[in-house]
Amino acid sequence: MKKIYMDHMAVNPLHPEVLDAMLPYLKENYGNPMSLYEYGIKAREAVENARALTADLINAQAKEIIFTASGAESNNFALKGIAFALQNKGKHIIVSKVEHHSILNSARFLEKQGFAVTYLPVDNDGLVNPEAVKKAITDETILISIIHASPEIGTIQPIAEIGRIAKEHKIMFHTDGVASVGNIPVDVQSLNVDLMTFTAHQFYGPKGAAALYVKQGTRIVPLIYGGIQEGGRRAGTENVPAIVGMGKAAEITRKDLQKRIDHITPLRDEIISSALKLDKVILTGHAEKRLPGHASFVVEYIEGEAMLMMLAIKGIFSASGSACSSKALKSSPVLISIGIPVHLAQGSVVFSIGEGTTQEDINFFKETFPAVISRLREISPYSEGWENTEDSTCTVKK
Amino acid sequence: MYSEKVMDHFTNPRNVGVMDDADGIGEEGNPVCGDAMKIFIKVKDDVITDIKFQTFGCASAIAVSSMVTEVAKGMTIDEAMKVTKQSLADALDGLPPQKMHCSNLGADALHKAIKDYRNKQGK
Amino acid sequence: MLLAEAHKLDNTQPKFLNEPIETDATTDIIYMMCPMHLLTLEEEVAEIETGQTLSILTDYDGALEDIPEWCAKTGNEFLGVYEEDDHYNFYIKKIKES
Repeated sequence: MKKIYMDHMAVNPLHPEVLDAMLPYLKENYGNPMSLYEYGIKAREAVENARALTADLINAQAKEIIFTASGAESNNFALKGIAFALQNKGKHIIVSKVEHHSILNSARFLEKQGFAVTYLPVDNDGLVNPEAVKKAITDETILISIIHASPEIGTIQPIAEIGRIAKEHKIMFHTDGVASVGNIPVDVQSLNVDLMTFTAHQFYGPKGAAALYVKQGTRIVPLIYGGIQEGGRRAGTENVPAIVGMGKAAEITRKDLQKRIDHITPLRDEIISSALKLDKVILTGHAEKRLPGHASFVVEYIEGEAMLMMLAIKGIFSASGSACSSKALKSSPVLISIGIPVHLAQGSVVFSIGEGTTQEDINFFKETFPAVISRLREISPYSEGWENTEDSTCTVKK
Repeated sequence: MYSEKVMDHFTNPRNVGVMDDADGIGEEGNPVCGDAMKIFIKVKDDVITDIKFQTFGCASAIAVSSMVTEVAKGMTIDEAMKVTKQSLADALDGLPPQKMHCSNLGADALHKAIKDYRNKQGK
Repeated sequence: MLLAEAHKLDNTQPKFLNEPIETDATTDIIYMMCPMHLLTLEEEVAEIETGQTLSILTDYDGALEDIPEWCAKTGNEFLGVYEEDDHYNFYIKKIKES
């Protein structure tokens, strides 16, 4: 059976050259970078080399890169670390409503610690309005954090413009670049960001390797105290193989990024145009300002989890923001924020492709997706339309 | 995550469709919750002779719907009133715990269809 | 700042200044714990030229002992410390390459 991976937003496969670069650090070069003899020195050099390569990918300096274990950790670190570092200046933070849970839940945690948080709405394309950011700023504002690109709807935010506003007001600006770094060109200088989260598994590196870019001279309170790793800002023995992998993946990505974008963009466009030819299929997110490999839809009258299960049976692996596909059984707040009614949000499906995706895969997708939709609509009681469902309230789950 | 039986009933659901001359119709859930089901029954001499369903929902919701039609077909309506969520889940070799309630609408929809039939009969 | 008060009473106390000094280089390691003040100090002193001055900004109390001691040990000049609301500014002059 065919197996077509269209869930690159969840994780990318490991690049074979990245694996080769990592293997010696899982085998013979097992030293602790803190050790002073040969094994340690080799490991230390490997980590510092990876730091320089990782910095190059986003046009930063090596010393501005703090390695972490995940995008979620970097996001927690950025929000809590800056909030606690600057709490004597003010206690107000601005985020958007379409942030990742690691930002939203960190913000909620900070609210419990006495900080005030503004959650900015987005328009129907999922865009944050920079003017709204400006209006939300008060004398108390110490930090703004806006996601660079949405993994759920693909929309790319006007980060450079928001960064300029933050700079004018001398407010720290963080962006969650997990979905953007490695998928589009990202330059921390031109984006005007002080901090940025990114993760290796979005650009064919390993899981468990991520980073927080912290502009030189920025005060941040560590989440993890202990030894002097990462300049004392993130203690704990370095995950040397993963960090080496991140560095190698960054090096390859810097070289191959344009080639990857040129490869996936027309394939992505084909996914979108073929899907939009189907009845009652709606594109979510911005039509142009979106990630090159990202196609996301709501399909009316059917439910997303059933859709992705049936696609998986046919060999196409995708994602959904429907309530049933989440472990918490709650609809994606991102879809609700862009004005999708709850019953339509149930029909969400996300296809994200990568450098391994072929024209043949897309041809197979174009045959399979309509068939899956028809099949599930045959089963659905709503194929003729939604009967008074907009006003219905949910009684079953209570 | 799902048992083989769930996957079987999801991929090959039994008794899908509408019934124009149904003796009883039962509806449960709504799409805002994520799952909604409609069940149609044909009754002769207190026995469910034919049954059809339509479901909006996840894989387990579709599988439960299919299973309830398979179980209820040929039952007397009194027997069918005794079908429970648990018995349907058991017949499917279990459901993931978080799906046990929200997607398990089959028994409730069946009972509603039977009540609808009884109302129509004036019983 | 109890520790700082204690140091002021001690004869070997670091020299507290009444106003800050302008230096050739500044490093901010506020919120970093021990031993980052010493590691950073070593790194940053290596970066500047002999005769140049360096400020280290830290909120780590142990630095009050450690930084003057480090200067004495390495032969660099400890110019003094200025106490801000929430941190110290330590001033060091590089006397020689170590």
